[in-house]
Amino acid sequence: MKRLSITSLFISLVISMQLGGVGVAKASDILIKNARIVDGSERGLNELTDILVKGSMIVGLGSGLSAPQDGRVIDADGRPVSPGLFNADTQLGIVELGSVAGTVDSSTSNENITASLQVSDAFNPSSVAVAYNRSLGITHSLIQPSNGTGIFAGSAAVVKLSNSGNIVVKKAAMVVSLGQAGSELAGGSRAAAMSLFREAIEDARDYSKNRDSYASGSRRDYSLSRHDLDALVEVVQRRQPLLVRVERSADIERVLEFAREQKIALILSGASEGWRVADKIAEAKVPVIFDPINNLPSSYETLGSRLDNARLLHDAGVKLMFTGMGWQNTHNAYLVRQSAGNAVANGLPYNVAIQAITSNPARIFGLPGYGQIKVGAEATLVLWSGDPLEVMSNPDLVLIDGQEYSLESRATRLRDRYYQRAIK
Amino acid sequence: MSTIKRLPKWCFSPLLILIISGCTSVPSEKPSDSDESSSLSPFSSTYLAPQAPATVIRGATLLTGTGQQLDNADILFSDGKITALGSEVKAPAEAVEINGVGLWVTPGIIDVHSHMGVYSNPAVRAHSDGNEAVAPATAKVWAEHSVWPQDPNFEKALAGGVTTAQILPGSANLFGGRGVTLKNVPSVTMMGMKFPDAPHSLKMACGENPKRVYGEKGGPGTRMGNMAGYRTAWIAAKAYDKSWSEYEEKLAKGDKSAEAPGRDLEMETLRGVLKGDIKIHNHCYRADEMANMIELSKEFGYKITAFHHAVEAYKIAPLLAENDICAVVWADWWGFKQEAYDMIRENAALIELAKGCAIIHSDDETQIQRLPQEVGKAMAAANRMGMNLTPAQVIKWVTSNSAKSIGLDDRIGSLKAGMNADVVLWSGNPLSVYSKADKVWIDGVLRFDRSAPELKHTSDFNLGIITPAGDRP
Repeated sequence: MKRLSITSLFISLVISMQLGGVGVAKASDILIKNARIVDGSERGLNELTDILVKGSMIVGLGSGLSAPQDGRVIDADGRPVSPGLFNADTQLGIVELGSVAGTVDSSTSNENITASLQVSDAFNPSSVAVAYNRSLGITHSLIQPSNGTGIFAGSAAVVKLSNSGNIVVKKAAMVVSLGQAGSELAGGSRAAAMSLFREAIEDARDYSKNRDSYASGSRRDYSLSRHDLDALVEVVQRRQPLLVRVERSADIERVLEFAREQKIALILSGASEGWRVADKIAEAKVPVIFDPINNLPSSYETLGSRLDNARLLHDAGVKLMFTGMGWQNTHNAYLVRQSAGNAVANGLPYNVAIQAITSNPARIFGLPGYGQIKVGAEATLVLWSGDPLEVMSNPDLVLIDGQEYSLESRATRLRDRYYQRAIK
Repeated sequence: MSTIKRLPKWCFSPLLILIISGCTSVPSEKPSDSDESSSLSPFSSTYLAPQAPATVIRGATLLTGTGQQLDNADILFSDGKITALGSEVKAPAEAVEINGVGLWVTPGIIDVHSHMGVYSNPAVRAHSDGNEAVAPATAKVWAEHSVWPQDPNFEKALAGGVTTAQILPGSANLFGGRGVTLKNVPSVTMMGMKFPDAPHSLKMACGENPKRVYGEKGGPGTRMGNMAGYRTAWIAAKAYDKSWSEYEEKLAKGDKSAEAPGRDLEMETLRGVLKGDIKIHNHCYRADEMANMIELSKEFGYKITAFHHAVEAYKIAPLLAENDICAVVWADWWGFKQEAYDMIRENAALIELAKGCAIIHSDDETQIQRLPQEVGKAMAAANRMGMNLTPAQVIKWVTSNSAKSIGLDDRIGSLKAGMNADVVLWSGNPLSVYSKADKVWIDGVLRFDRSAPELKHTSDFNLGIITPAGDRP
């Protein structure tokens, strides 16, 4: 690590302690000199750029930019700067400890609440996992509910791992599980899950046109509670995409067909066998969220799982968003970059992998200010010790909306306590 | 409970939590000559390495597993053994020559905590063979009797350079059963994979898992209950050991009237530990519990070889080093339960700093495919903390230290003349996310070659399962 960044880390720690340990330094204008910009857009490999940050924004990009008055200057000396990274499937802030029920807000066993569950209502920005992953380069995530009693899990939200204003898109996608998980929730049979799915969508359409008669008790019964129907109206009226968890190629085809008939905006999640129907996914312009590290037949619906799924989907023209790594996608959400790096090792173009963890989710979930390093964008960026997809790299600086966040976490506090004892 | 449905199946299903939480134990070595131990002869290895040509890799970067990095070096192996390494090594005329310029070489990667074959894929209930969760003490069961050699995970681990794996039972039980060490070679039988003359292990488990599984099934329901459970078993084992030792002594003195005590499979395993033949691999997360387990081992006179998962090992690094106990850890897993809350990414490094034995394990079918990347993450975190670790030092965490903990460091885990030719040729620095194993040899036999897919062995399970002519990728 560069001497300079140790100093800046130290300064940020001191400042954050003065602010009561909330992990954020006082905002000041920052000039990052000689950075190699890594944001998934085509640039010269060795091109070095200065980045000027004022307030919450990037206001200048170029060479030889002059330092802001009263601001800081950081010489990146060729180190990469990327947008803060986005993990498209975590439970950050809604699960503190997986086996401690009181800290788990990702699902409910209440049968009256399925589609109406909004994980944003439970998001805890003070979660230890939030600060930890932020210090390791994650600034955004789609946090997704788990299924409770029904095939609809509820609304996923886009969150920003900042101290304020962290719910960026409250109802970013309605999550539904089909395939094997759907079958289990529907009492057995994928066909039963499809039947429940169709019924729910039809009910939501009928309800949306007959709210008054429903309220007065003169409309037929529906398969879901009023709140769940209200939530699904967002989907049938195309105000919210439907995020469908599905793995098997045949199941994917069926979902594509249904969404086309129903004119529903679709996102696929999982899609282990997506490569087998990549052309159809591309033709439907449906983006896919998955962990490119997966290559094992953990179930009979992921028999086709393979390490070059990302490359094959990309080659067909599908837009990718990544999660990872493995089942530690919440507590180690930052390892989405290890998953992305392995996708590159297995043939995915480097810039496409970067887009899958920055600009693609930004575009798909409607975050115009985030996801690329450009003038007028939010200054949500990370200065890295080396290539952000390389497992041996780490952040030297994390900014969200121009605010510097400490690289300290509960884990580094524990580390420092025992390291100091060891070297005394 | 509902979260089971969507979260990674195997970590949230009750059985599987056990897995994650760990499992461990290692057996010991030579068959002893008592009547009782003659019971160890069944299930012996039938593995034989086929003939293979001498091979020399030239001009590569060698990480020897003994702490050295040799640049622009050659390595020669023949008849299954490493015969020379250094510069300008002389090779027999018939040797296969491989240009290693720009490539890296390590010993075969060893995973000392795997459930391949006992929690096979597809992860259907019928493949759930890792936890005999019907009673808290099942030292009598042997993981090898659950191993399904067609588990499609084995070949993926091979593509990640894994040549040897210790297969352990799960961690539901205080005593989970015996572990077995396998060579990562295709075989229709378990015996065909079994590492010849490798010691058995015994997996023990501390903490949350046993008390959760048995809390409402007669106990133990607390950590103190766990401890009472171990002590009760060891008291019985001491008595069993005494009766057999007396019998063996009489036999040795030629007393033909000596009557053999009855065999007890549970006690046989524990006696093997007391005699030092079976190695204890102990799933244990918290520092205070590991310290208690060390006291327990001293009370009954057995040795703990390794603590697995050991999320808090860094808090007692000097104690572990003093007692010659390896800390077998993940690079970064945490947060799935209370006892996994205090993870630090520098855990392995702080063990190294205390001159202890650090090992990185996978306990996972995905991570086993890239263990050197796990090492890379742990090294980078340590260096950020202020240490100055190098690939030459840390590759031990998945090679020679691992070999030591399973009692095989005289045969595998380092590149030295005379060692088994378990060798991996990497496309670059193995700790990098971009590097892949290009070639993998086990006992000098080329078992994986990325450039020759036609040589690739695939599990019976994979044949024709995507389409009649199309195997699983």
